[in-house]
Amino acid sequence: MSNPAKRKDVMAATQDLRRRTLAHIPQPLERLIFLSSTRDYNTGLYRHEGLALRFSEEASCEALADCHRDAFNELVAASLRDLVHQLKRYADNSKASLSEFIGAWRELEPYRVAIPAGADSLSSELLFSNLKIALAILETRLMAPWVGKPSASPRPSLVR
Amino acid sequence: MIALTIYLLIGAGLFLFLLVMARRKNTPVEGCGEEFVQARRALRTLQLGLLPANLVERIFDRGDFEYVTAESSREICKLFLAERKRISLIWVGRVRGEIRNLMHFHLGYSRFQSKLSLRTELRLALDFVLLLFACRTLRLWLYLRGPYSAPAMVGIAAGAAARVCRISEQSLEFLNPVAGDSFQNDSTPGGAAI
Repeated sequence: MSNPAKRKDVMAATQDLRRRTLAHIPQPLERLIFLSSTRDYNTGLYRHEGLALRFSEEASCEALADCHRDAFNELVAASLRDLVHQLKRYADNSKASLSEFIGAWRELEPYRVAIPAGADSLSSELLFSNLKIALAILETRLMAPWVGKPSASPRPSLVR
Repeated sequence: MIALTIYLLIGAGLFLFLLVMARRKNTPVEGCGEEFVQARRALRTLQLGLLPANLVERIFDRGDFEYVTAESSREICKLFLAERKRISLIWVGRVRGEIRNLMHFHLGYSRFQSKLSLRTELRLALDFVLLLFACRTLRLWLYLRGPYSAPAMVGIAAGAAARVCRISEQSLEFLNPVAGDSFQNDSTPGGAAI
């Protein structure tokens, strides 16, 4: 297939992926995890049955890779406040409790394998660092729920 | 005797000058493909990986610091500052490294291919020297005073690096593929694993 035709095919596949699938995954963090899960870690190739049926295997792979990079770039550009919000929402949507989720993410650091191939190491480091801090903030909130919320009433005192 | 010494010194100076010029002309042009590729890689790393405005803003944005200060404990603030300091030091170190790569390329090889005017070359040389000095100073400053201590210097260094990249791009323009290969260039570095 010639390059312009190939490019057209990839663009069509990308649009289709965005419209049908990614439109239902609004948060970049969720998109990043989802798209990285479509990648075969032995080959580095992305696979999506539905997309590959409608377009070619190659075009679907390239489209998934493009969207993966976009999600990564969006997440790197997100403020820490936004990242904490996304992480909380992602944890809420998972089946685990917040404490289990935080424990697993701190220990296993699953986000390290979720970055796209070819991502710049500095951007990756910044994202890992921000996620580490976001997890620490969520953990603090879990242990002391009044921290970080506007105080309508005085904080409960531990000393009576 | 004094006149003889002066003549000898002038003669030695001219001989050294000729030696330097002769050495410059002997730089091999044929085997320098690798240097061109490395220079282009350094340029791409700077333009796409280290200097995008949103990345520099994110690393040095005070908004994140204010959020952490307002929302969390002192330990998390300390963790945050330590992490941002680490990231900012990596950033300035890598910018300096890639600028040095570009400088070596310009010193050794670019004149065989580029059509830069003498004025542009002089401006570029000055920019390289100032930029390397600025990066070293900034690194020391960030190390001693933390990531939010020198926002103006960060802006100046990033701006000067972007300027150097623009000029370097002219020297490496001939390496850019002509139309027809545009598909491969649309992707970010690394591209998809196809």
